[in-house]
Amino acid sequence: MTEEQVKKLLEELKSDLESAESSTATTKLWHKYFSDTGSFKLLIKKIKDLPAEEKKTTALIIQQAYKEAQELFTEKEKSIKGGEMSGNIKSQSEDINLIAPKIGHLHPISKTIREMNELFTSMGFSIMDGPEIETDEFCFQRLNVPADHPARDMQDTIYIKEPDFLLRTQTSSIEAQVLAKYKPPFKIVCPGKSYRNESVNKSNHFVFHQYQGVVVTERTNMKDLFGTFQVLFKKMYGEDVVTRYRNKYYPEVEPGVGPDMQCFNCHGKGCPLCKGVGWIEMGGAGIIHPNVMKMAGIDTKKYVGFAFGLGLDRWVMAKYKITDIRTLLGGNLGYKYYENESII
Amino acid sequence: MKVLYSEIKELVPRLKASPKEVGEALTLTGFMMDGFTEVSYKGKKDYLLSLEIRQNRADCLSVIGLAQEVAAYYNLKLNIPTVKPISKNTKKLDIKIETKKETKRVLAIKIDNVKNIESPEWLKDYMSFYGLNSAGLLVDLSNYVMMMTGYPSHLIDFDKTEGSICWSINNSFKEITTLLGSVTKLNNNEIIIRDNNSVLALAGIIGGKTDSIDIKTKSIIVEIAIYDRSIIRKNSRSLSITTEASRRLEKDLDPNGADYAMKMLVALILKYAGGQVASSLFSYYPKKYISLKIQFDKELPSKLAGIEISPKDTLRILKGLNFQVISKNNKLTVTPPTSRMDVSLPEDLAEEVIRIYGYNHIPTNETPCLEIVKNITPKNIVLAEKIRDVLTSLGFDETLSWPLTQKGINDKFNYSDLKEITTQNSVNDLFPHLRQSIAAGLLNQMTEYFKKGVEYIDIFEIGKVFGESGKNYLEHESLGILSATKNNNLPQFKDKVESLLRLLGFENVKYFESKLKPRISNPESCWDIFVNNQNIGILYKLTPSETKLNIYFAEIDIEKITKLLTSVDNNPVVELTQKLIPLDVNIELDEKDSIFEYLDNLEKKINKKNIWSINIADIYQMEEKKRYTLRVTYEELSDKEAKDTHLKTFGSNII
Repeated sequence: MTEEQVKKLLEELKSDLESAESSTATTKLWHKYFSDTGSFKLLIKKIKDLPAEEKKTTALIIQQAYKEAQELFTEKEKSIKGGEMSGNIKSQSEDINLIAPKIGHLHPISKTIREMNELFTSMGFSIMDGPEIETDEFCFQRLNVPADHPARDMQDTIYIKEPDFLLRTQTSSIEAQVLAKYKPPFKIVCPGKSYRNESVNKSNHFVFHQYQGVVVTERTNMKDLFGTFQVLFKKMYGEDVVTRYRNKYYPEVEPGVGPDMQCFNCHGKGCPLCKGVGWIEMGGAGIIHPNVMKMAGIDTKKYVGFAFGLGLDRWVMAKYKITDIRTLLGGNLGYKYYENESII
Repeated sequence: MKVLYSEIKELVPRLKASPKEVGEALTLTGFMMDGFTEVSYKGKKDYLLSLEIRQNRADCLSVIGLAQEVAAYYNLKLNIPTVKPISKNTKKLDIKIETKKETKRVLAIKIDNVKNIESPEWLKDYMSFYGLNSAGLLVDLSNYVMMMTGYPSHLIDFDKTEGSICWSINNSFKEITTLLGSVTKLNNNEIIIRDNNSVLALAGIIGGKTDSIDIKTKSIIVEIAIYDRSIIRKNSRSLSITTEASRRLEKDLDPNGADYAMKMLVALILKYAGGQVASSLFSYYPKKYISLKIQFDKELPSKLAGIEISPKDTLRILKGLNFQVISKNNKLTVTPPTSRMDVSLPEDLAEEVIRIYGYNHIPTNETPCLEIVKNITPKNIVLAEKIRDVLTSLGFDETLSWPLTQKGINDKFNYSDLKEITTQNSVNDLFPHLRQSIAAGLLNQMTEYFKKGVEYIDIFEIGKVFGESGKNYLEHESLGILSATKNNNLPQFKDKVESLLRLLGFENVKYFESKLKPRISNPESCWDIFVNNQNIGILYKLTPSETKLNIYFAEIDIEKITKLLTSVDNNPVVELTQKLIPLDVNIELDEKDSIFEYLDNLEKKINKKNIWSINIADIYQMEEKKRYTLRVTYEELSDKEAKDTHLKTFGSNII
């Protein structure tokens, strides 16, 4: 084996590598030169057969040539693979879809209920519901509204079977259910549907949403009730909200409270929205009437409670700028976030 | 109720507050001002306050009642106008009271030689403030006294009557022509005032034409009567007649106050219309109403209000409201005036004290000090909220629809064996039934969206559905999910419904052909959904519609799945060192056979010890058969052990 022959083999490899254009070709060359029967591999194997005097010089030449050959081969292989990879990247590339995906939304009523529930659960309230088909007992009698009481005029009732079965006219019926079934102390809120016998038009509906709250503990009072309302109003309408609390009659409470919010449209000056009075009625509240507590078997010497009920639909309509109540209840709500909607 | 500022000022002479301030004070104490108008009365600028009167305050449907409130609020003296006593006469009126149970009190008197002339201008103006047309002096005076005192009176033209005047329950007259000229059909059970031949009035509601006052009237009977309020309310409702009189008499009016009103009216008639009293005062008053005596704890107002209200203030307020207070051994005995029939409990007294003290003295900016109590929220409420989150994440919009439906809707959508529930008296007579499925509302919403050109419609609603079983009215919270697309999409729809169920923690979800299919469904594409072998809902494709959309609907009984909620007891973690070996097997079943039934039987037979999961990996439709590829994943076994177990269980079906 002469140095000449080794150089020749190296030249041959260089020439082969130059003409190779694919990884298939380089694989073939690998077999030709570096497999067990490959030319360079055979050269390496021959070292052990060299006469002792040549071993020192020739072996070194062979080893250097083998190393150079390997480097040349690896470099070529890398370059070919790299080229091929860049070709693959292009063929496997994808474009993004520019059409916006449809996302789901909660109904504004649910969103508002959720906001209010979050506030009240953070204050340790539980959330309750009750039947929508109610009995006269739970919708009226247990709330201190006996038959033929003038207060029944405030609520036109849809009957299922007069006089005993009806669609609840107020979420106070849930209060009556909870007072009867649970032992105090408790703090609950109850969002829910109520029904009144009204024709459906732009501003009235036979079904509407209320939000009831009931607290029965060993010690509470009107100051707690006002404080609770204030926390709620600030959460829903901002820190600058102006409120007033006035005496109001509801048979299920004594003393009774009418919470009002200064009209956000005219800031108390009087406008069509607030019917010129500068205030918007937010619902009813008060200290739970002792008759209501006694009918539920609650010891009025030990426990005292307050309750409140709010109409939700008008809040929601004002917040989301919905002008027709029919839109809110089974109309057409758009596929978009509403104005003033905070996402987080 | 409307009231002129000048009238209040006349009764509370030392009142310094402006008209607006008076309106605000009345609002605070329970009579919300919903109107404030500048007017001219008796040649001077005046203000008309429109107030919402509390349902239980008949005494405040009067100027004097409201002036009493103003006087108490400002701690001023009330000057009630003095009225002359009625002059004596011994001639008795021929009056009979047959309605002893329904009538609390009747006062009547005859006045002769009156002149029913035109009312003076101030009285005409006064009537106009209350929205009443001037109807001659006598009627206007009667109405004036009603506004001042709260007591309605009725004037009978004596010369038009025959025989005795009698309060009775109607059982003979079919109709009455009212003094306004309208004919009202009677129901045969109203309280009427009659003479020997005719019905003179619907008692407490409206007078009749027969005996009505006219310009020639010379001799009149004036009557003021108080009835059991519920009878007046019932009669007024059933005859659909509401008047200023019925509005007052269907509340608890104090029978004792009728004397003052009668004296005032007689004095005014004699002053303005002339004439003389021609009979003794007829008075029917079988059971005199006396006030209750209430034991009252002075601390109660402070306890309920949450602020300090001194015993001195409490006493001042109660006395200002004309309540008698006796203090003995540090305890109070309070007697309200008989006009305050709404006050019977210590809490009622506390409200009186707090409202006059002023709710505006109770701070609103203090954090409420509420006791810590245990959470009693039922799981179905938490579950419904979770459902809302999952479905909105899956791209569904939440809607709300009407729980009352049109005729025929439940027939199409119902799949329960419950009967439809119908309302008895809904004014929305086109929507008389309670819904039995959420589907109808969602379909309406879908149609709305379709009209707006929305291409992909994915919506859901959570609400109650209703049905009658025997004598029980049943209801439960239900979830309805609807998708509508141009292309066939049932597998994707089913996947979304099942994703929801799986995210709620239900692993064992199965579908069987529905036993009860709604008429709106395609009977070939209608399945009952089972979780843990219990039917929890339905999933179906709707029959083709005009929209040419493919519409899919699923409904899940939220209360049923709430009961099935359990904590997940298997350990879903795969350790890094743990080996899972998936092996497939083909099962061929007849078209009609359920793969879920097959799996149920399989699970009963095999040893599940080393089985991580069994899933349906593929389905291949063959002629009259279906081939299911099941993927059984083994754990804690070597490859060989897994293969052996697989072979032993499934034999030659192994792929």
